[in-house]
Amino acid sequence: MVLASESADYIGLANAPVLWILAMAVMGVVVIQSLIYMTAVKKNAESAGMTQQEVRTAFRAGGVAAIGPSLSVVLVAIALLPLFGTPPVVVRVGLIGSAATEVASASIAAGTMGASLGDDTFTRGVFIVALMAMSLSGAGWMISTLILTPVFKRSSHKLEKVNPALMSIIPGAALLAAFAALTFRELPKSPTHVIAILVSAAVMGICLFLAHALKMPWLKEWGLGISLVVALIASYFAHYAGLGIPEA
Amino acid sequence: MSNIITSPSHEAFERTTTKWGSITLFIGFLIATSVPFYLLFVAHANVNFGEILKGFLAVFAVYGVFYIVEPLTYFPILGPAGMYQAFLIGNISNKLLPSAIVAQDTLGVKPGTQKGGYAATMAICGAALIHVFSMVLFVGILGTWLVTIIPEPVTLVAKLYILPAILGGVTVQLIVSLKQIKSTLIALGIAALVILVLIPLVPVLSSGDVAIVVILTIAITWFTRNKKVTDLKATEGGDNVGIN
Repeated sequence: MVLASESADYIGLANAPVLWILAMAVMGVVVIQSLIYMTAVKKNAESAGMTQQEVRTAFRAGGVAAIGPSLSVVLVAIALLPLFGTPPVVVRVGLIGSAATEVASASIAAGTMGASLGDDTFTRGVFIVALMAMSLSGAGWMISTLILTPVFKRSSHKLEKVNPALMSIIPGAALLAAFAALTFRELPKSPTHVIAILVSAAVMGICLFLAHALKMPWLKEWGLGISLVVALIASYFAHYAGLGIPEA
Repeated sequence: MSNIITSPSHEAFERTTTKWGSITLFIGFLIATSVPFYLLFVAHANVNFGEILKGFLAVFAVYGVFYIVEPLTYFPILGPAGMYQAFLIGNISNKLLPSAIVAQDTLGVKPGTQKGGYAATMAICGAALIHVFSMVLFVGILGTWLVTIIPEPVTLVAKLYILPAILGGVTVQLIVSLKQIKSTLIALGIAALVILVLIPLVPVLSSGDVAIVVILTIAITWFTRNKKVTDLKATEGGDNVGIN
């Protein structure tokens, strides 16, 4: 019902074999980058007093922690398939950006042509303009990272020379601040957002306590996945009990 | 390839990751950007340059600030090597950073130390491979079938509440893992003040909200640090007791 007849005509185009190849190439680039980085860490871990066992543990912990978030991103990406076709979704959600950013960008761009996502104003032309705007915007992040990283690197080396204590304080404080800010930003959105945060935080607290008390270190790795699932289940009931975002 | 013979060192790590990190990021950028251009040339869709520019500028008006603000915000956390990973893969706050935090917590190492940095890099690699695997299998291959069997209410809830459902847990794990009580209180206080009070009063600042909180927290933590402890200990691997 979402797809009007005219929209369907670009979906074939959006699933063209060339685009499948590009989408798989993009995923290939991510894999190659990771392999290069893993080799670099393994080779040089010794210089930081890190054992190969610890290198493997860090890799596994990161992978396990990413399972929950990855599956929820998959759920959202799948919902976008009828609208954009498979390869564009893999490229847009699979690279810089997130499902939320991409949907917002697409609807803003469609808006400039008097169209909106998911109805029959979203024609072949609107689709291309929207995808173009999303892609160029993603490119903006990548290019500015390529330009800014060496600049930041030089200035942080300078700061480190001025006072070595800086680098022992800044990363921790920056992480705490970023996550505190991101979390508070979710609070005013709806009561269900508050519930999602509190349930997730409480479940994580329990997992970490049990991990420590019962000497089950794997719970530290799985804690995020468990918190995420329990919080989403709680959100499901809260949302359909009428505590969700009004119009969504 | 001068780095083949080098003995283990952080310089060698930085050289390799800077070189190959930026090359892979650039290739990723080229391929991703070619997708809409390919469609533009084969689609015969009657789209003109003006419409594309207008669409992009509208998006740029909303997100343009983030091209600068996000790299600035995440650099102190990710370091140069991690920047090329994070801004290739995206999903930074909901996937990559949580993975790094979990790995550092599991190993009991601190961010900002060299070992903490390596743990984060390995964790992000692990997260990246899971990310690619899930995108290729569940979206690429099985996506069009899954879309027919997953009930719409489930997708909707996942879409609306993923972020808070991740953030609550990650923030708790981060706080427990860092054990920096003073920084935690400063970060929470500043975040509450900026997000719940300042931004509603001065909405223009809203795109820089996280960056403002990060900068203020760093500044206040820095100027209230216990100098005797932190400035003597320098960086190497120790517990950062001085800033609690």
